Formats: sequence, structure tokens, C-alpha cells
Amino acid sequence: MPIDISHIERLAKILETSGIASIEIEQQGHSLKLVMETGEPSLPSPVLVGSINACQATRVVARADVAGHFLAGHPWRATPFVEPGQRIEAGAIVGLVKVGLLYAPVLSPATGIVDAITAESGAMVGYGAPIASIRPVTESR
Amino acid sequence: MIEILSALGPTSIQDLGRFDQYRFGVGTSGAMDDVALRAGNILLANDENAAGIEIPVTPFKLRFCRDMAFALTGAEVEAEIEGRAIPPWWRSHARAGDILSLKAMPRGARSYLTVCGGIDVPVVLGSRSTQFRGEFGGLHGRPLQPGDILPCASASCSIGELGVEPPDIMLARPNAAADEITVRVVIAGEYDAFDGATQELFWGGSWKITPQSNRYGYRLQGPAVKPISPIEKRSHGIVPGVIQIPPNGQPIIQMRDAQTSGGYPKIATVIRADMWRVAQARLGGRLRFEQTAYADALAAEAEMSAYLDRLRSDARLLEELRTCR
Repeated sequence: MPIDISHIERLAKILETSGIASIEIEQQGHSLKLVMETGEPSLPSPVLVGSINACQATRVVARADVAGHFLAGHPWRATPFVEPGQRIEAGAIVGLVKVGLLYAPVLSPATGIVDAITAESGAMVGYGAPIASIRPVTESR
Repeated sequence: MIEILSALGPTSIQDLGRFDQYRFGVGTSGAMDDVALRAGNILLANDENAAGIEIPVTPFKLRFCRDMAFALTGAEVEAEIEGRAIPPWWRSHARAGDILSLKAMPRGARSYLTVCGGIDVPVVLGSRSTQFRGEFGGLHGRPLQPGDILPCASASCSIGELGVEPPDIMLARPNAAADEITVRVVIAGEYDAFDGATQELFWGGSWKITPQSNRYGYRLQGPAVKPISPIEKRSHGIVPGVIQIPPNGQPIIQMRDAQTSGGYPKIATVIRADMWRVAQARLGGRLRFEQTAYADALAAEAEMSAYLDRLRSDARLLEELRTCR
């Protein structure tokens, strides 16, 4: 879907309310970068989409579907949602992306074994940023 | 529809409360933690006054009779639906036949289950809240029991999973100890009937929440706080949050099912912005009172409104962002 002018307006509003300094979106043929004037030097914007960590055939990657701060565990709980080596079901929660007062879940795209949590808890992540890699397991029924 | 499979303790249907009947002696009832009920309804894009289920005791179990979005807010519960764990303050989705199970409550005292469209029991005197004392509202005016079938209004909701930051993070307050909650109070009508030393006992005390604490009121245990001379007043209007001192000197905080009048002397009143903190204080836990000026009580209320306002706008923006993708 091409980036529409009304989307840019909405994105700018979201950046403003969530206190995020910048966002960069790349799609086929075009890219968009929005930087908010915060008075502070802006952090390097998170790099997105499949440009890095091109997933190897044996791994699938759980990605953030919204930009915000990654949380490996719920703030009320001492332990992270998942740890490397742990089994995870398809659709289960890998971590959270905090956007304002909301926590958007990062979901596992497959049933498998957690290989690594690639995002750092507390760090800014962008839309499409890789959060965890998972080695899918095929169940014999 | 929802079928209750197991419920211990006084589980009840509550909306924000019944506010127009106070002059007839009908108390407000309503969710003890109204912030949690509102947050659940905001997650589901419901009217914020939509009725939910207030669950004070685990284990609790219910079955969804059709596909439905729901949210769990309030106390931290170890909740599971069909093998999936539900994080705190969370919106999720059930399929017809799914069983939701609340196993333990490690933090807080009341969990709220809200569903897309709300629990659709009849409105009685302007509210769906259960009035235990008058035995009306909610489902037949009584606590929920296994086998109860609750009607749910049909509505279309966003069904993706989504969480909310619990209010105790943005609205954090310093507490003296882990099992102690400090709540802000303004002094009330008979405060000056207690001498200075007694007033100090009240402020300095770490008040234990006794097992005789519930939706009607919290009975506290600590040093005896007694007026200079016994006070006998005629019954007069009181509101939830009022802290009365009965003759034994052990304070009672009036809660959402309190009577609308009483005669005991009133030493202080919990500010509205901190009532949800009292509602989430556990039996056996402790409360400490901090004197607050009226202006600061209003400022605290504005802070709570700001949390809810931000939640409403963040929820709207995130759904918009997802739609435009």
C-alpha cells in the first residue's frame, strides 16, 4: 500500500503523543522518515524491515508491528515472557512494545524453540524490527 | 453469553454505580476499582459505564458461549484461557466454548472481567450494579454462582491482543513498606473532637485491614482512637471514603456498598483519586493515612483523569494506526 498523506499526518500525531523522536518506514520503491523537533539530539532511528538479519531458512523472526519501547517482560513481573531455549507456541507472546500507555504484544509467528531475543528490553524499536528468532519445530502427529 | 463455572466469595456484576438515588437512601454500589473497570471498557471500545464482573477471590472459572473479545484489569491474576496465559491489564479474544480460569491473585484484591458490549443485565434504578444490601441490580441482586448464565450485549470489537499500563506505574505513590499502602485523606467533620495526641495516633498508625472488610466497608485494627468525650450524633448523610470512628476506636472506611447515612464521628475522608488504591488493598495488608489539602485532592483527581484521557487517546490512535496499515 502506498504511503498516503493522511497516514503521514496520523503518524506525526502518534509520534507527538508517544514522545517518540523519529520513525523511518521503507516500502518497495519509497521510504519515509519523520523526525520530531524535541529540542534534544534525536537518537538514531531504528532500522526496519528485512534489510538486516535476513532470516536464515531455519529461523523465523518475531517482529514488532508497531514502533515503541520493547519490554521483554511485563513491568509487574520479574521474569521475561520467554527465554532462549524455551519452547513457544505460534501466536504466543514474545514481548511487549510500549506505545504511550499501551502494550502491543509481539507474537511468535511459529511454534518452535526460542533461539535468541534480539531486541534489548527498554530499547526503542521500529515498525517491523526483529524482536526474537525462533527455530520452528514440526510436530509429528 | 457467559456461563459461570466456579466462583468463591462475593463475585458481582458492577458498572460505575448508581448515582441518582442517593437522596432516597440507595447507595451507589458500582466497581470498587472504577479505574480498572474504565480501562477494561476503553480497551474494548465499550461505553466506560458498561457492566463487568468484579472478582474478589480466586479460583474463578467461566465459559464463553460465543466468540467474544474480553479484557482483564485490576488485581494481578494468574489467568489462562485454553492454555494461553493472559498478562495483567490485557485484552484478548475467546472462542465459543473457551474456558477462562483465574487461578491466583498475587497482587491487589479485585480483578475485573469486561466483555465486548458489556454484561447485559437489566438496568435497575439507572444502573446494572449489584446492590447487595437491597438485593437488586446485577443478576437477581446476588453474588454470582456456578451455573449462572450472563447475557452479553452484542457489539463488534477490535479483537487483537493489547495491554494497558497499570495505573500504579504512572500514578505511583511512595509507600512505607511493601504490604502497606498510603492513602491521602482530607480531615472530616469531627476531627477536632479528638485531642492532638489521638490525632497523632491516627496519622502515625499502620492500620491493619481486618477480615471484616468488604464492599460495605473496611474495618481497620490499630491503636484505639477515641474522642475527648463520647460523641453521639444523629444519623446524617455519609459517602464512600468516609472514615468513621465507632466507640471501640477502630476506624471503618465506608466503601461502595456503604449505607448512605450513619451516626459515628467522622475523622477523615479518603480522597476520590485514592479510592481505587483502597479497593486493591488486601485483607491482612496495611493502610497509612496522609493528610491532604482539598486543593491537592482535586489535583490528584486531575492526575487520574489525565491517565484515563491519555489511555483513551492512545487506544484510539493505535487502532487507527493499525487500520491504516
